[in-house]
Amino acid sequence: MALVEIRDVFKSYWLHGKRIDVLSGVSLDVERGELVSLVGASGTGKSTFLHVLGTLDAPVAGTLRFDGVNVFDLNDAQMARFRNRTIGFVFQSHYLLPEFTAQENVAMPALVQRVDRAVALGQAGQLLERVGLGNRLEHRPGELSGGEAQRVALARALILRPSLLLADEPTGNLDPATGEGIHQLLREVNRDLGVTMVVVTHNETLAASLPRRLRLAKGQVHPA
Amino acid sequence: METAAALSLARTERPRWALRAGGGALAVAGAVFLLVAVARAGAVGMLLSQLALLAPGWGGLLQALLGVAAAVRPAEAVALAPPARWLVAGALAWLAGFLLLALSAPRAEAREEPPSAAARAPLYPPLAAWRDFSPATFAAYAFAILGAEVTLVVLQTLLASGSRGLGLAAPAAFVLSLLSAALLAFGCGALGAARARRLAAPEATIAVLYLGTPLPLLLTVLPAFPRAALWVGYRMREVTYLAELIGRPELAYWLTFTLLVLALALGILSGFVAGGSGALDLKSRFELFVANRHVQVFRPRLLLGALAVLLLGIVPPLLVLAVLRAADAAVERTRIRALGMKDPMLAAAAQRAWAERAQSATAMMTALSVGGAGVGVMALIIVLSVMSGFEADLQAKILGTNAHVVVLKYSDNGSMPEYAEVVKKVEGTRGVVGVTPFIFGQVMIASEGNVDGTILKGIDPRSAGKVTDLPKNVLPGGSIDWLSDPSAIPVRTPPRSAPADPADDAVVVRKSSGPPPLLPGILLGRELAASLRVLVGDRVTVISPLGGGMGPSGPVPRARAFRVAGIFYTGMYEYDSKFAYVSLAEAQTFLDIKGATGVEMKVADVDDARRVAGSVLQTLDGYPYRTKDWGEMNRNLFSALRLEKLVMGIILTIIVIVAAGLIVATVTMLVLEKRKEIAVLKALGVPDSGVVKVFLAEGLQIGLAGGLLGLLSGLAWCLFIEKVGLRLDPQVYYIHQLPVRVEPLQTALVVVIAVLVSYLASVFPALRAARVEPVEGLKAE
Repeated sequence: MALVEIRDVFKSYWLHGKRIDVLSGVSLDVERGELVSLVGASGTGKSTFLHVLGTLDAPVAGTLRFDGVNVFDLNDAQMARFRNRTIGFVFQSHYLLPEFTAQENVAMPALVQRVDRAVALGQAGQLLERVGLGNRLEHRPGELSGGEAQRVALARALILRPSLLLADEPTGNLDPATGEGIHQLLREVNRDLGVTMVVVTHNETLAASLPRRLRLAKGQVHPA
Repeated sequence: METAAALSLARTERPRWALRAGGGALAVAGAVFLLVAVARAGAVGMLLSQLALLAPGWGGLLQALLGVAAAVRPAEAVALAPPARWLVAGALAWLAGFLLLALSAPRAEAREEPPSAAARAPLYPPLAAWRDFSPATFAAYAFAILGAEVTLVVLQTLLASGSRGLGLAAPAAFVLSLLSAALLAFGCGALGAARARRLAAPEATIAVLYLGTPLPLLLTVLPAFPRAALWVGYRMREVTYLAELIGRPELAYWLTFTLLVLALALGILSGFVAGGSGALDLKSRFELFVANRHVQVFRPRLLLGALAVLLLGIVPPLLVLAVLRAADAAVERTRIRALGMKDPMLAAAAQRAWAERAQSATAMMTALSVGGAGVGVMALIIVLSVMSGFEADLQAKILGTNAHVVVLKYSDNGSMPEYAEVVKKVEGTRGVVGVTPFIFGQVMIASEGNVDGTILKGIDPRSAGKVTDLPKNVLPGGSIDWLSDPSAIPVRTPPRSAPADPADDAVVVRKSSGPPPLLPGILLGRELAASLRVLVGDRVTVISPLGGGMGPSGPVPRARAFRVAGIFYTGMYEYDSKFAYVSLAEAQTFLDIKGATGVEMKVADVDDARRVAGSVLQTLDGYPYRTKDWGEMNRNLFSALRLEKLVMGIILTIIVIVAAGLIVATVTMLVLEKRKEIAVLKALGVPDSGVVKVFLAEGLQIGLAGGLLGLLSGLAWCLFIEKVGLRLDPQVYYIHQLPVRVEPLQTALVVVIAVLVSYLASVFPALRAARVEPVEGLKAE
């Protein structure tokens, strides 16, 4: 059984009374441990697809089975729990919480789960050490560079060992060299921790370097 | 193409509007005809009252009841005979008008659309999981409000009624039953909301309006129907008695109702927050952690600043702050300049750090909200404490001068010859501390300088001290014992200042010629003595308008000379200027009363006086005796005072509500400012109820900080007023100084209500925060 089974997912927007179909009947399987890239022109709905996959956005219709469980049937609290335990997000912008230090930001998902604060902060410290930010624990997001912030965001997405990591143009805001560092990190995480990943990207070289490549066009996902 | 569409639209629109106008006019005409018919029958007032009954929704039921009443007693029903022509014309026009209006209503055209590609796909479940009315939740809310009201009434009656119930004091019974009722409302509301997993506003509104309001409404209109009032009032006398204590019972009913609705709202909210997302989750450490970073309310600087503003007013702390800031800035500028001399980059970095110190708008708003809540709480505490002080002071003075309970007798001239037996019987009653007989009469007092009308009270000097504070109130130089031993009174010889005219001289010579006559003693109030211009040892004449027998031109007043045995000072202008005391024996002979007017007593617990009065009456076997307690004797004064306090409290609560508005604005701003963070938190797996908790905690913290600061500054102000004092004109306010009495329960209640109100105030923005869609927040870059 595939880790993620997406069937007949529809998603539309209404702009000035006109319907815009973003996803029209997407079906897709993602196997455990896969590293998938998703490319497509701007505005084709790659981010929307990722958000629906992460239960951040409500589709119109469709099913999403995760480990055999239909996630769309869950209520709000169960869905929040699902996001908390099984999904890790990395966005184009780092979206760190500005009031908290790097270490607290990384520990946040564990704190949501009510893990003891000292334990969570300890784990967060170790994780930051691994992404090479051992000397930045007490810095606020405003005091970090773009690449550093994105690494913190990655560490935050990984602290609860999610089964699925969803990355939405994680290097879109970074220069090529820094971006390459992040790509390297993603591949390492996939290899060492066995985390399944779906990476939305504009970066053709990155897409080409990943084992499975998908393209979103006209509301459908095709192998690219 | 478009113009053609517009034309066809206009073609269909025009007749529709004509139809509408015509129908409307016809319906109005019909209504006018009907009104004319009704007016001809002379039943406009009745019709209007019937229509008014319809307004609250219970009208239908009431009308049915009226119909039944009319059927039972047809004599009372008004015969209606409106002119048939007008009636028929009006009804027809009315119906026709509405028919036309109905015809002109726009109908949605069925649109033919090809089925979308998603036609067979499974619907996203939350899209279908919408329910707008849940009977179970409605039942829970209805039971909450109605049950709470009934619990309150029944429990209070049971607890307070003397014969079958527990016989608790009325206020204690009320507090107990209000607590139980509020708890019931809270619990049922919480259950209903937790079960429905939403706030269920329609259910709550309908429950409160339809099942909550009838009871207070009924109690409010009850006095208008004397027979019903008698019937219901007997069963609910404990409820109505308490409500009447504050002077305006309906105010008490609605205030209590409001409190119960507040408890229900809190319950609904708590139920939603705790169980709204399916699982009971009361832990909030994480939410508090986030909230504390969003608004840092408990910062020493903010708290000290707000406290300074509350204690000293806005201007002085602002001046100090401005001076401090200016000094800081000057020092920093000098430092940056010195740095710049060495390395411009260091100076730029320092400049940036300095600029970043500027506070955000939300931080300002937070400080303002804390200050606002603080001002409200402070004002409430000060004003209520001063008014409590007034009440306590008045009570102490009234009780110091008057007895707690008096026993009187129904007889032709109000005298009680057998008072000694009554004293003996009453002394044995439980709760009675001291008993003394008294005589009461209205007289004039004349001195050589002036005349004044006073109340003459005959007392037993030996036992009077057991009941009132009179012996303690006698100023040095006089004594209450001299009433029974007049020979001990030092006779004062008026000063031998140069006599102005021979008549004066003659008086002085006459007085000094022989030994002064032995006169009975009298005690005068300080103000009375001052207005009569007499001192201890002086002679006054007491004149009674009655009792001198009949003279040629009607009743002759009786006069008798007394010697001032002492001057007393109670501190209450009313008493110091109106009372004079003589011994019981002197009063008996002078006022021609056998025995005494009555017996007065002191009880152990002042608040229990009413009950003791009842048991005293029981030991005396009721008629012809009657008792009055101090509350009854001064009812007007105290109920006016309580009403004043209540109204003042309500007015000041408006300040708290304004502060709550500030909190709403602040938390709303916070929510708008933190949309992105809310979206991120949701992406990290914080459920909706967690987001609600975060923002509720923020509002609650603001309220808590404001409440505590208000408490501190309010108590500080009360202390200041008590220690330093504010002078008052005693002729206007009875007393010389603004009294303050901080009642712990009342003060705590103010703070608790302020905190609850701020909690409620943050509900709306917190719910809005929970509705932020993660995607929306993540897009807003």
